[in-house]
Amino acid sequence: MNIYVKNFLKFCIIILLQVLILNKITLRWWAQPNGFPVFIPFVYPLFILLLPFETTVPVLLIAGFITGITVDTFMNTAGMHAFATILIAYLRTNVLNALLPKNLSEYPNQSPSVKNMGWMPFMVYTGFLILLHHATYFTLELWSLNNIGYLLLKIIASAVTSMLFIVTYLLLFTRQSSTRI
Amino acid sequence: MRNFILFVRRFFNLILFLGLEIVCIVLIARTNSLQGNDIMSSANAVSGTMYQKQNDFVAYFGLRRMNDSLINENARLRLSLAKFHNLDTLKDTAVHLVVKAKDSTHVVQYNDYIYRTAKVVNNSVSSGNNYITINRGSADGIAKNMSVISSTGVVGRVVHVSAHFSSVLSVLSVKQQLSAKLKDGTFSYITWEGDNPDIMVMKDVPQQIKIHMNDSVFTTSYSFFPADILIGTVFKMKVNTKNNLRQLYLHPSTNFRNIQYVYVVENKMMDERIKLEDSAKKASK
Repeated sequence: MNIYVKNFLKFCIIILLQVLILNKITLRWWAQPNGFPVFIPFVYPLFILLLPFETTVPVLLIAGFITGITVDTFMNTAGMHAFATILIAYLRTNVLNALLPKNLSEYPNQSPSVKNMGWMPFMVYTGFLILLHHATYFTLELWSLNNIGYLLLKIIASAVTSMLFIVTYLLLFTRQSSTRI
Repeated sequence: MRNFILFVRRFFNLILFLGLEIVCIVLIARTNSLQGNDIMSSANAVSGTMYQKQNDFVAYFGLRRMNDSLINENARLRLSLAKFHNLDTLKDTAVHLVVKAKDSTHVVQYNDYIYRTAKVVNNSVSSGNNYITINRGSADGIAKNMSVISSTGVVGRVVHVSAHFSSVLSVLSVKQQLSAKLKDGTFSYITWEGDNPDIMVMKDVPQQIKIHMNDSVFTTSYSFFPADILIGTVFKMKVNTKNNLRQLYLHPSTNFRNIQYVYVVENKMMDERIKLEDSAKKASK
């Protein structure tokens, strides 16, 4: 399948999954402790994280902008998701360069995955960028540092939950056998 | 000139990055003034239709609960209707004189409300400013700043309108305050702290006012809402040591997690009132 068509389909699946299913489940870690934040797991940054290795930075930025704006439109947040997504799209290349032993151009036609990066580097890569995305988004959303403990708690709790959902997504949608090429 | 082009080529990524971030900041700033563009909201045709489709599936799961709340509301409305049936104007003229508009030229008809029903197609409780999308729009007579209530209490205010959908900023929002009063008429304002959809805070209530647990709090006619709509019930009180005023913690009467049908309330006199208040403000400046 053409790589553009493939990524466009991936975009549609991830956005629909985020908007129609994940946005409807509001999570909370414990049932009743007062003031513990409620949050939504965000899986859509995964689209940016899973674009092919060779994608140039301008393309990444535009893709991040489109992804963010689409989610914003659905969630009435006008620009907040886009801001956070553009930030991680910009930093993605640097993080990958730091984590991978070889140059990025030596992975032709491949996307970042557990298979070609290994579990540990891949989790560091997604974990770091997801945490950064959530930190930016929730800071923008609350727009005050009065309640900094609450903000940190919300960022960490939702980042961990998002990571759980992302791992689930990867286990579900990654092709297992590498013989079919 | 050549140097400039070289500079742009060298830092093209950074310039594009900063440019896009600035676009986002402009969008955020415009929306937070509540006058933002209507295209970028869940009230637009595409996202509205998709939410509608999704809601068609999900709506079945809440039908029993919906039915219960409608029956409760019917009972409450029947009760308040019964009060007027029992009114004997002949016996008790001094207290309950029923005045009709045609009886006197001095009676002014005011607070003329129109209620429209709407179905909630999208909803959230987890962010700092929660929006609800409903399946009625300007084609059905909805306009900006109309208030929205449910069968159990207040819900919010219309902020974006498209032809067939509108988005409602719910009272669970850190950027708006709501005027409220207790049973005895003491009024103050209510905010939401942005964390828990089950807790709202009524601020700055004087300490000498007697308040009991489970006292009801209602809307006032100062806000966009019609007066005497239930907001919630008090479950905790705390004295603010800074100004010696009391803070009341309320459980909102509307369950924002599973709200399905709402009423959009149009106040026909609102435009005139706002015009008058604005001109009074301008005159005093």
